[in-house]
Amino acid sequence: MPSIPAPDLTMPPILDIAGYCLDYATPTGFKRALDNVTLHIAKGEVLGLVGESGSGKTSLAWAIMRHLPASAREAGRIALTDKDLLTASSSEIDAIRGARIGMVFQDPSTSLNPTLPLGEQLAEVLVRHRRLTRRQAWSEGESLLAKVGLKTPAAMMHRYPHEASGGEKQRVVIATAFACQPECIIFDEPTTALDVITAGEILDLFAELQAETGVASIYISHDLALVSNVCNRVAVIHHGKLVEQGPIRSVFTAPTHPYTRGLLAAVPQPDQRLVEMPLDTTSKALLEVENISVRYGKKPFLGRLLGRKNTQFAGNHAINLSVQPGEILGIVGESGSGKSTLAKALTGLNPFEGEIRFGGRPVRGLKDMDTAYRRDVQLIFQHPDSSLNPRQRIHEILSRPLVLYGEGRAADASRIAEMLEQVRLPASYADRYPHQLSGGEKQRVAIARAFASRPRLVICDEITSSLDVSVQASVIEILVDLQRLHGTGYLFITHDLNLVRQIAHRIAVMYRGELVELIAAADIATSAKHDYTRALISAVPIPLTGRHRP
Amino acid sequence: MNNFLRRMIRSPQGALGMLLVGLILVVVVIGPAVAPHDPEIFSPLLRYKDPSPEFWLGTDQYGRDILSRLLYGARATVVMAVFATGLGTLVGAFIGTTSAYLGGRSDEIIMRTVDAVMSIPSLLLALLIVTLLGKSSTNALLAIAIAFTPGMARVTRSVALTVRKQDYVNAAIARGESPLFVVWREMLPNVVAPIVVETTVRVAFAVMLFATLSFLGLGAQPPAPEWGLMVSEARRYMHLSVWMLLWPALAVAWVAIGFNLLGDGLRDALNPRT
Repeated sequence: MPSIPAPDLTMPPILDIAGYCLDYATPTGFKRALDNVTLHIAKGEVLGLVGESGSGKTSLAWAIMRHLPASAREAGRIALTDKDLLTASSSEIDAIRGARIGMVFQDPSTSLNPTLPLGEQLAEVLVRHRRLTRRQAWSEGESLLAKVGLKTPAAMMHRYPHEASGGEKQRVVIATAFACQPECIIFDEPTTALDVITAGEILDLFAELQAETGVASIYISHDLALVSNVCNRVAVIHHGKLVEQGPIRSVFTAPTHPYTRGLLAAVPQPDQRLVEMPLDTTSKALLEVENISVRYGKKPFLGRLLGRKNTQFAGNHAINLSVQPGEILGIVGESGSGKSTLAKALTGLNPFEGEIRFGGRPVRGLKDMDTAYRRDVQLIFQHPDSSLNPRQRIHEILSRPLVLYGEGRAADASRIAEMLEQVRLPASYADRYPHQLSGGEKQRVAIARAFASRPRLVICDEITSSLDVSVQASVIEILVDLQRLHGTGYLFITHDLNLVRQIAHRIAVMYRGELVELIAAADIATSAKHDYTRALISAVPIPLTGRHRP
Repeated sequence: MNNFLRRMIRSPQGALGMLLVGLILVVVVIGPAVAPHDPEIFSPLLRYKDPSPEFWLGTDQYGRDILSRLLYGARATVVMAVFATGLGTLVGAFIGTTSAYLGGRSDEIIMRTVDAVMSIPSLLLALLIVTLLGKSSTNALLAIAIAFTPGMARVTRSVALTVRKQDYVNAAIARGESPLFVVWREMLPNVVAPIVVETTVRVAFAVMLFATLSFLGLGAQPPAPEWGLMVSEARRYMHLSVWMLLWPALAVAWVAIGFNLLGDGLRDALNPRT
């Protein structure tokens, strides 16, 4: 990771936020989003703004950008050098936004207009704020794109967003933000939507541009490991209040606020095992996957008659792996590498070719997946919001597997309470609807549902990636406890290498639909053979904390 | 529920729609009980009367009290329309959801069939069905239900397609649930909101379609106090008394506007984002 030069703190701050409060009007009265926030950012400084979802970090970003909904009520002061932004007229704000304050959004695929070429969108900023002619703006745009490390800037200017990759698009967004040499740029989780390796490259670019331009940056993120690597100061925000701020090293090594301490303790530390390592490898494999391939797209019936080429897309290509009883097998890879496709094939949601052997019994297709197989292999999904039916109460959701797999015991209230207790939820939740639960609680209900049938293999498809880090830690704890209790095997699909190194026995690395490496979790850092695995390991930021520093 | 009602009342369309439809429902329930006269009794001496204290809305060509006829006719008109729409909605929703669940080639076949049926204008289709089945109120109801089915199937399918992609449907399939369970218990409850909105709007259409069929002599048969039929009969005597045409026409308009506004209000109230 590149290091950020220390900022000159003797200069007056670029952005000065003092006693800023923000309330949103709701039908039940005003709700406080930000409470007495005081922040200063000097030239050349990178301030990490860290908090969990709903903590108010994005609200603060929009408050600085002066783009708040009509229901907002504000107090306090936000000043850019000497200009008070709260009292500025809308035409003054128009002149400031984009020119003196820039913003880089989370998802480049939604922050760019899909109907305009990339160059058009970049040139627009230059024409508007630097009063260049279109021709000048276009050539200036090309040089900006070259500066952000795009290989063919001239061609890139003419491309539409869908013709560029996620990383390329984010580079264009960054170029747009830097285009007018602003004094301050807000980065709102700029790498969250990108895969690990691309994110690493974007961070390198960020550090480079930051050092070169000396812009004051606010880096909003929920990823503490990442913040510890790119920022020189950090502010921790919790329920709209800044609970702690200070230099990275002191906050991360000696946090003073209990919330910060809890947050730091929840960050996955790759070398801190949560699951006992020794595994019974002598017994027969629970699951064997042999040459599984999944193809997407319709079988080109008409096309074949007309002699057209087969245009099917391979989601998985000849995957081989095995899971021992009670083993946690981690599967990592970037988005689109075929991790979820494999999970879906194993649960009969995707047709596949090849053979699965479960407990020695061959399963060649959907027809072989009988009730016994379904009971033994359960799937937990990434988004608990979408995996629980919003129109069913929790007890209805949980009783379904019991009814379906005809367990000896009826799905009575005590059984439901037992299931809820297993995932550390109170029995009173049985009568609630999913929307009355938080994200972490919903995911625990999904876990309880998966464990209702006492499965032998549970496939966890990115189950913690939509959760906050502290919630993630509690969900992982439950999973590890359940594994210890029932001896269940897991296929743990994730993109978080640090996390999977904590719990998995072995890690399978997937890349473009293929399984490129299958290696013991303990060895992955030292003896990974495939180039992609090595690139992945070096791109993942290692958290900097007091407990273990290199 | 309380919150839902509050949202409903807060929007002007919702409040007005609820008021208009509420009044219609009151008429449907207590109409015959409060009607001052027998709707089918002829009084040759009292024909073509203008509104007066005794006959509030006047009388028709046989001297029947128009107000009483409207009050009695509300049941025939509105209840039939609601039933026809409900039936069409139920069948259409089931077809649409099933089609979305099946996907692939089956979806293609079902939806192209629906498209073919939809290409026939609903009035023409209803006329065709009534001609085939024979003239009667029940057949008119059936005709309207069938005419509404393809449209509902389309609307439902588009909503159900997004529901189909939700993980709770995948979870149910991975759990090994039967297709019928997935469609009925997992998918249908989640497509209800847009369907409810669509249905209320369609009730207004059904009232008008029903009135049209009766007007053409294919729905309710005289001397039934059906509103469309009343308009149809009054047409010939318009030059003698304009009231007997005006009142039933206004009643049909009232129902149409009321249900339309209710639909608009429901759409806003059921969508939590507004």
